[in-house]
Amino acid sequence: MFKHRKKQEKRHRTGEIPTGSFSDIAFLLIIYFLVATTLVKVKSISADLPSGEKQSDAAVDKTPIINLRGSKMFFSDKEVTLANLNARLAALKLAGKTPEQRVVMLESTSMTSYESYFQALAAISSNGGVVAIVEEEDSQ
Amino acid sequence: MKASRKKKRRKVQVPIASMGDIAFLLIIFFMLLSEFSKEKDLAIDLPRSDQVNKTEVVVVARVAMTADGAIYFDGDRVDNAKDIEWGVRALLSKTVADEQRHVQFKCDAALSKEKFEPVLKAIAEGGGIIEAVGENQ
Repeated sequence: MFKHRKKQEKRHRTGEIPTGSFSDIAFLLIIYFLVATTLVKVKSISADLPSGEKQSDAAVDKTPIINLRGSKMFFSDKEVTLANLNARLAALKLAGKTPEQRVVMLESTSMTSYESYFQALAAISSNGGVVAIVEEEDSQ
Repeated sequence: MKASRKKKRRKVQVPIASMGDIAFLLIIFFMLLSEFSKEKDLAIDLPRSDQVNKTEVVVVARVAMTADGAIYFDGDRVDNAKDIEWGVRALLSKTVADEQRHVQFKCDAALSKEKFEPVLKAIAEGGGIIEAVGENQ
């Protein structure tokens, strides 16, 4: 009886690595990564800024202009709220115009925060406008 | 005698020997194609607006600015806005289609114009379309 058991034990020692559970481990890893992965999808606004070319003064006169002074917003020199600005820009129906007519100028003071700037950018872009940043000319 | 043999149950065996290989191939595939976000560690308080949308565009580069004014291009810190312009220009040198010109721009909401506007201009000068990242209000 004892000898028979010893024979059985010896039969199991074949030197093979048990690979039966490999697929289970692999699929568990896949499921783990699928569950734990977060796909990064950010929320953004798209703003196509034309790379700097100076416009003639006559063309600039007709172009709508947004001024950001600190936390205040001005549209054609009149103070507006963000909702007002959106309504004003929507009334211009920029989306149906040619790219040259869609330009909205954006002027800001040096202390304007990115928060205000971003909101103005978002308003212009969502109404089909193309943003043109107004630069202060050097006095020299 | 023959009829009784036919009645015996046939064992249907699904070949599962290659399942492990397939699974490991899938893991290797995902490991090679996955890209870890380099910007997760940057502390950026994003601006808020009710007009931001979930974007589906593929961006060619990622520019980030932290509250202290540090500029990052694809996760690596750069010295100034000029580096951004050159970087974007180099990436877009062979690009014609508008869909391939999008550059993601993440900037801290509190940053002043003096710091972020040169970077915005640099992206535009380099030929990129700015994808300004924000949060819903």
